Amino acid sequence: MVVVAAAALRPLLERLLDRPAVAHWATVFVAIAVQAMPFLVLGVLVSAAVAALVPAGLLARLLPRRPALAVPVAAAAGVALPGCECGSVPVAGRLLARGALPGAALAFLLSSPAVNPVVLTATAVAFPGRPEVVVARFLASLLAATAVGLLWARGGRDELLERVRRRGEVEGRPLGVLLATAQHDLLQAGGFLIVGAATAATLQTVVPRSVLDAVAGAGPLAFLALAALAVAMAICSEADAFVAASLTQFSLSARLAFMVVGPMVDVKLIALQAGTFGRGFALRFAPLTLVVALASSALVGWWLL
Amino acid sequence: MSAAGGLISLLVGTVLLRLVLSGAYGRYVRPGMGLWLAVAGVVVVAIGLATLLQALGHRQPADAHDHHRHGGDRVGWLLLAPIAALLLVAPPTLGSYGVGRAAGVEVRAGAGVLDPLAAGARPVPMTLLEFGQRAFDRDGASFNGAAVQLTGFVAGADAGGFRLARYQIACCAADAAPVVARVVGRGAPPRDRWVTVTGTFQPGGRELPELAASNVVEVAPPDDPYE
Repeated sequence: MVVVAAAALRPLLERLLDRPAVAHWATVFVAIAVQAMPFLVLGVLVSAAVAALVPAGLLARLLPRRPALAVPVAAAAGVALPGCECGSVPVAGRLLARGALPGAALAFLLSSPAVNPVVLTATAVAFPGRPEVVVARFLASLLAATAVGLLWARGGRDELLERVRRRGEVEGRPLGVLLATAQHDLLQAGGFLIVGAATAATLQTVVPRSVLDAVAGAGPLAFLALAALAVAMAICSEADAFVAASLTQFSLSARLAFMVVGPMVDVKLIALQAGTFGRGFALRFAPLTLVVALASSALVGWWLL
Repeated sequence: MSAAGGLISLLVGTVLLRLVLSGAYGRYVRPGMGLWLAVAGVVVVAIGLATLLQALGHRQPADAHDHHRHGGDRVGWLLLAPIAALLLVAPPTLGSYGVGRAAGVEVRAGAGVLDPLAAGARPVPMTLLEFGQRAFDRDGASFNGAAVQLTGFVAGADAGGFRLARYQIACCAADAAPVVARVVGRGAPPRDRWVTVTGTFQPGGRELPELAASNVVEVAPPDDPYE
């Protein structure tokens, strides 16, 4: 049956690909999915290793109990996970399931795609001779991640995270747990990655570039426009600095906002977070993060750039 | 879902490995990603195989918590969408459609004073980016009159010639930014056809650097279509 369906589908798809817009969409869609896979697999393996090897309750005992201390520590720990945002979602979900303070796990979720050495090096390469851009990106991302974590620790509705905290505590031998967790996280995060990739490819194909150029010179509007572009494009945090560098019609502060917002809020991430933590959570968390990330980049941009 | 899930993982991993082995991954990501894609492919195949064997081996899987996994897992089937696209049609490299839509590469960034080319017998092959940078540097003085050779795709006809383009990508095709030059003195080949153009730099191009072509040859799309 599969073979028959494939044989029937193939000419149809080939005809569709003759249209340049469809071909462009398909290439961007597949490209996002393919390039995210190694990072997703890394994140899934780290997450599975935590599930299999870290005893329940150990994290809660190790991390400082007071949010005022635990959140900045977790945000700074993001430096240690070299990858992009696709990997940090399953890891943060696992940390939550293992009893980490929600504010701390969320701070880690936001900071790790932006402040790790791989991403900072890429930023330095994209902005040659402008080390202040790297410093500004590091500080603004860390500040935003910490602020969101602290805000969540104060007033966040932890019951929105109940699902992930109760979720999937597989019991058994470590190897069995490792396998079951890896398989489960891979399919779940992978599936939502596909939703996000399709959304981003659609936006990239449909939205004309002239819309962006029109607002480039318009001060605060340019700032918001680049943040919106970061949300819509959903490019990997390891590549966004190169895109930011090419957006020369915009101010450096606006481009900083692009690099701070992108790894924290984008259509692909919202889909991943909705899948991992629940829709109700993602609907509140994404706008909160967006506002805080914008404020943080405005502040740091005004100070440093 | 367990056996089916294992099967999906197995398929995803296999297609990743096939992409790497056939070299087709160069259409979507940087060539340097090949090793990481291969590693990811092997890991995913291993996870899929192990899950499948376990599910088939004993009918009573360890995951007694299956009942509160509702919904979350069904989304995994979506992974079959890019797999189907890759197996059935293999989406092409980016073409001229995106040239006017993406932000162009800023050739002025990072280009200092460039060493002059040796004016001599053979045309110098170079990237479109280097061509743009040399054109910008002291109004093309570093070309030293030498003939150059550029390879890219045709992004459309233009007054007295055509636009030649090639994308730069940092990570994957989603962050592609086009570099464009104007070729003058030759008629335009069909859009999206790959060509190698030989010619000399011609000062005075306003928005785009100009190349006065002496020869235009159609070529097969290169293995690494991006710069």
